[in-house]
Amino acid sequence: MVRIGNREFAWREGVTVADLLKELGDPYPYAVARIGDRLISRPDFDKAAVPNDSEVFLIPLIAGG
Amino acid sequence: MAELKVREIQTLNYERPAIQKGYANQTLDVDLSDSKIAVKPVSEKMKEIFVGGKGFDLWFLWNAVKGSTRWSDPENALCIASGPLGGTPIYPGSGKSIVTAISPTTGSVMDSNVGGYFGPYLKFSGFDALEIQGKTQVPTVILIDGISQQIRILEVSGLPSDAHEISEVLTNHFGQGRPRNISVVSTGPGAKHTLIGCLNFSWYDAKRSKIRLKQAGRGGMGTVFADKGLKAIVARWDTVTTVTNNPVDEATLKKVARLHSQEIVDQDPKQNQMSLVGTAHLVTIMNDYDLLPTHNFRFGQHPQAPKLGMEVYRALFDKGYDGCWMGCTLACSHGVKDFVPATGPQKGRKVFVDGPEYETIAGCGSNLGIFDPLHVVEMNFYCDTYGLDAISTGTSIAFAMECFEMGLINKAHTGGMDLSFGNRASALELLHQMARGEGFGKVVGQGVRRMKEIFCKEYGADRAIMEDIGMEAKGLEFSEYMSKESLAQQGGYGLALKGPQHDEAWLIFVDMVHNFMPTFEQKAEALHWFPLWRTWFGLCGLCKLPWNDIVPADNKQTKEPAKVMRHVGWYTQYFSAVTGRKVEPADLIAMSERVYNFQRVLCLKMGFGRREHDAIPYRAMGPVTVEEYESRKERYDKQLKETYGIDVEGKGTAEKVKILRKLREERYEQLKDAVYERRGWTKAGIPTLDTVKRLGIDFPEVLDVLKAHGVA
Repeated sequence: MVRIGNREFAWREGVTVADLLKELGDPYPYAVARIGDRLISRPDFDKAAVPNDSEVFLIPLIAGG
Repeated sequence: MAELKVREIQTLNYERPAIQKGYANQTLDVDLSDSKIAVKPVSEKMKEIFVGGKGFDLWFLWNAVKGSTRWSDPENALCIASGPLGGTPIYPGSGKSIVTAISPTTGSVMDSNVGGYFGPYLKFSGFDALEIQGKTQVPTVILIDGISQQIRILEVSGLPSDAHEISEVLTNHFGQGRPRNISVVSTGPGAKHTLIGCLNFSWYDAKRSKIRLKQAGRGGMGTVFADKGLKAIVARWDTVTTVTNNPVDEATLKKVARLHSQEIVDQDPKQNQMSLVGTAHLVTIMNDYDLLPTHNFRFGQHPQAPKLGMEVYRALFDKGYDGCWMGCTLACSHGVKDFVPATGPQKGRKVFVDGPEYETIAGCGSNLGIFDPLHVVEMNFYCDTYGLDAISTGTSIAFAMECFEMGLINKAHTGGMDLSFGNRASALELLHQMARGEGFGKVVGQGVRRMKEIFCKEYGADRAIMEDIGMEAKGLEFSEYMSKESLAQQGGYGLALKGPQHDEAWLIFVDMVHNFMPTFEQKAEALHWFPLWRTWFGLCGLCKLPWNDIVPADNKQTKEPAKVMRHVGWYTQYFSAVTGRKVEPADLIAMSERVYNFQRVLCLKMGFGRREHDAIPYRAMGPVTVEEYESRKERYDKQLKETYGIDVEGKGTAEKVKILRKLREERYEQLKDAVYERRGWTKAGIPTLDTVKRLGIDFPEVLDVLKAHGVA
């Protein structure tokens, strides 16, 4: 099981952040996702495998500096 | 340590006024040349036009200086202020001070904001702002004692020179067993020997029993301080509660403060985790997006960057509450406990290091080609204790390193030092030399603009290439973001009044990554609204981080997510609840617009503030060298073909560099036109008569300056 906000998704081997975003159906251009302490930027969403029993935080990142 | 010897030079007993609606309604003026202390009233008109904080600072500075005043002249006024909302202990980020003066590196108006307890303690002691003019030859400490209602100018001998030690000694000396009652402003030996000195503002961390430091880093404010003969300014104040600032509507203040505080508590763990890692989360993100400066802003990415990432610093940071002002739930001022420097005067001793934050990690790490997190911690410690701006130090060393690698300077100039990128020992040695005012470090400590001059005139280095790669504008070193691929951020840096510091406009993500502003008009609108909105924090004594570093969970569904309008609404309520002035969000922007335009005219008075002063080096706009172009060839070729319709087939890289440069430079000039028009400025970058009249800043002296520049 993988959690994003208040939604839960069945985990499968090799599922990526990009896959989950597709399932979530949220078109917002998130810049970064965080899984635990690991930051993943959008260019790597389709390469970053999500471990089972994890929570993914989607970060819009409009700030900085 | 030598025993302190304190000699009274001047004392003023005063009656502390009750704070009313966030204002003390008076300011403090100290002239060091003749040891005069004066208390001046604040008029309603002054509050209406300048609001407070930076607005008050700039008004004093305007009245203190002539157009011919140089930074080291006695009349240069170092001004420090909080603001009407400053010192509120329940609203996150309400403890900022802002410092202004004529800068040693730019020769023009500088403003630099900083946390710590000084600004609120100054106000609660009875003063909305402090203005220091004159110079003294004796080591001087100014004590602002709000408890005993005394201002004292003291000659203090036997003080150490390093900022950490000065702050500790003076906190113990004046604290009377209550160190939390003291905040010290000081600098260090580097400020005296360079032009990039910073100020350290202290706050007492009761849980760790440590004196902590925050920095007003930019533009050499520490150098002005040291040049005046000041060793420290000490503020002494007692307990702070919500009513200390005497807000008009305490119930609304508490309600809106609770909303904002709670949102940070709820959302920060889901977003940037700043209460755990500060701004260190940005390092790998910037690297992923090709925005992390490496090797003097040549590239935005490096495979070793994750070594400087947040996971590393999360492990290094000491656990515990790290708010630089009371009650801030964002609490991002993290530090490293029991760090043992490998070099310098504190070599082998355990010290507490305040930081590092993103800017120091990028400036003193990746931009020097150094990917050792402990090296960054050591650079951070010595920058603070020597009183040196970590951003200007990093960017200046990076420039010297690139010049060394290009053969523009060599070991004969550097005193035998190998300044290749990645050389940790040399970077640290330069820092120690800056503090001692010796060797090549003394040259680097003059900043990038003066290094270009010295390298050209004394070492025969090629001027043109140094103009392209020397990352300064207006004389201020760039802060640590790559702007090559974001036109809006090029404007954010180049059109910032004081020089390329990101606190006016940080638009990289909303422009380049999210593409929220594809047209010139949209970029111009952003370069109007964001600098004005960010200016407002400096008027009020606030930190901007709670505004947009943590956003509401549903912010993305709002019409303008980049503006975080729910928070803007909360700030509007906050302002009204404290001051009693009924305002809408547009009114907050109008407050800033007055002060912002006034600052531009003050720059003009000082001989700057025109279109030509908004120029930036080409390294900030695009690839200077063939190597830089080749490293992102696909991106640049695509842009030439698809955006500009240029056939790149058969063209060599050098030719493509030249073509791209011409196009990007033209685009930057077009952006200037669009922004000036939106701001109500002439094509020369000067506020029009209509603009200053509309804003109510058409004072005779303002009109005189405009007239002298052909605007009448």
